[in-house]
Amino acid sequence: MFALLALAGCASSIPQTERVLADAHAYPKPVELATVPFYPQEAYQCGPAALAMLLQVAGVDISPEQLVPQVYLPSREGSLQIEMLAAARRQGRVPYVLSPHLETLLTEVASGHPVLVLQNLGLSWYPKWHYAVVVGFNLPQGELILRSGLEARHVVPLATFERTWARGRHWAVVILPPGRLPQTAEETPYLAAVVPLERLKHWREASQSYEAALKRWPKSLAAMLGLGNSHYAQGEKCEALWAFRRAAREHPGSAAAHNNMAHVMAELGDLHNAEKAALRAVELEGDKQPIYRQTLDDIRRQLAESAPGKTPRVSCPEPAGIRRKSVAHRRADIR
Amino acid sequence: MQSFRRMAKPVSYALITGVLALSLHGPAARAAMVSTDQIVGAQQSQQDRSKVVALLTREDVKTALSTRGVSTADVQARVDAMTDQEVHALATKLDQMPAGGDALGVLVLVFIILLITDAMGITDIFPFVKKPARR
Repeated sequence: MFALLALAGCASSIPQTERVLADAHAYPKPVELATVPFYPQEAYQCGPAALAMLLQVAGVDISPEQLVPQVYLPSREGSLQIEMLAAARRQGRVPYVLSPHLETLLTEVASGHPVLVLQNLGLSWYPKWHYAVVVGFNLPQGELILRSGLEARHVVPLATFERTWARGRHWAVVILPPGRLPQTAEETPYLAAVVPLERLKHWREASQSYEAALKRWPKSLAAMLGLGNSHYAQGEKCEALWAFRRAAREHPGSAAAHNNMAHVMAELGDLHNAEKAALRAVELEGDKQPIYRQTLDDIRRQLAESAPGKTPRVSCPEPAGIRRKSVAHRRADIR
Repeated sequence: MQSFRRMAKPVSYALITGVLALSLHGPAARAAMVSTDQIVGAQQSQQDRSKVVALLTREDVKTALSTRGVSTADVQARVDAMTDQEVHALATKLDQMPAGGDALGVLVLVFIILLITDAMGITDIFPFVKKPARR
């Protein structure tokens, strides 16, 4: 009897649903992303099917069948969460894991972003793990709408969903076109989600994501350096220089910003300024990081070897948007 | 264990050489450029050490995926797309992680039945189950 009561108590614990429904007036009208495609899953293939739906929305034309060899784990008859994230990266998309709150999930759906969720449709001790895609909700009715299994439109009470989702540890992911940020993204987790794209050499998508991050968090040092590094990797040295210059200007205490700026300046033939920047990096953190000293030595060697006035110098006039105000004024005066 | 120890030294030398070679062609293309990973991630000295460990672990995870039915042709690219932290997580607790696929844990049920039958003394599968003394 006691055990039964305990079980019942457990089953009624739906704090997030209660919170959301108490605040239901936040979304008085139902929301449904009708354009999200639907792939009915084949046996054990809810992972590839759900992932394909999100990737299609993110602008990647890929089928569940193509994703099977990328995520499916035969002996487990399913797909692991880590591999779902990794597969999104392989297509050059940033998988962003949401904070574990129903409110966050609803905010993303209301912003037009379908959300991939992991549920345990069974019991904690007898699990049935399942991936589905949240495409809508109706708060006045207390319902959530999912693309799930063989159902294109699986309507489920919020309370039931919360229980199955909580057993999957509230795991929810959005995957968006490059340069589009999740509505609820936070700075550090988002940048940490972009960095692994560099490992896969998806530089173009990485720089688009850093750029979007900078629009939302204009002071972000990591986004500036990421932008510089990803432009540099694409051979876009002027763009890299602008990003590093901005980083060094807005974060004068960042040795990494000065060090990377020094490298690009040297490669563009501006050895004089490169030496100054490299020296600044050494002054800031040379005792902690031997690579800053290495950069400085490198540049000084090049300076010693080059005949004065003979080094070819590439000029990189900064575009108006990121030019320093004083420089802009000076240029205007000259004209 | 003994043979593992004998192997460990040459293997670790080979790995360190490999890591050094890799870092020359690292993401930022130049040895002395600071990568975004280093900025977002932990301290650099820590990362250098963990790089060797991470390489070893990546091999472990490749083997783990292969033995669980992933074709050798797919394993490399799958592990390549993971971060060091993800590789570490898989290496330590892959079999405890949920695998979404609607499979019912039949094995769990069988396990429980066998556990009960073992405890009743009908079967004798698990040495850790104390069997009833008589009957």
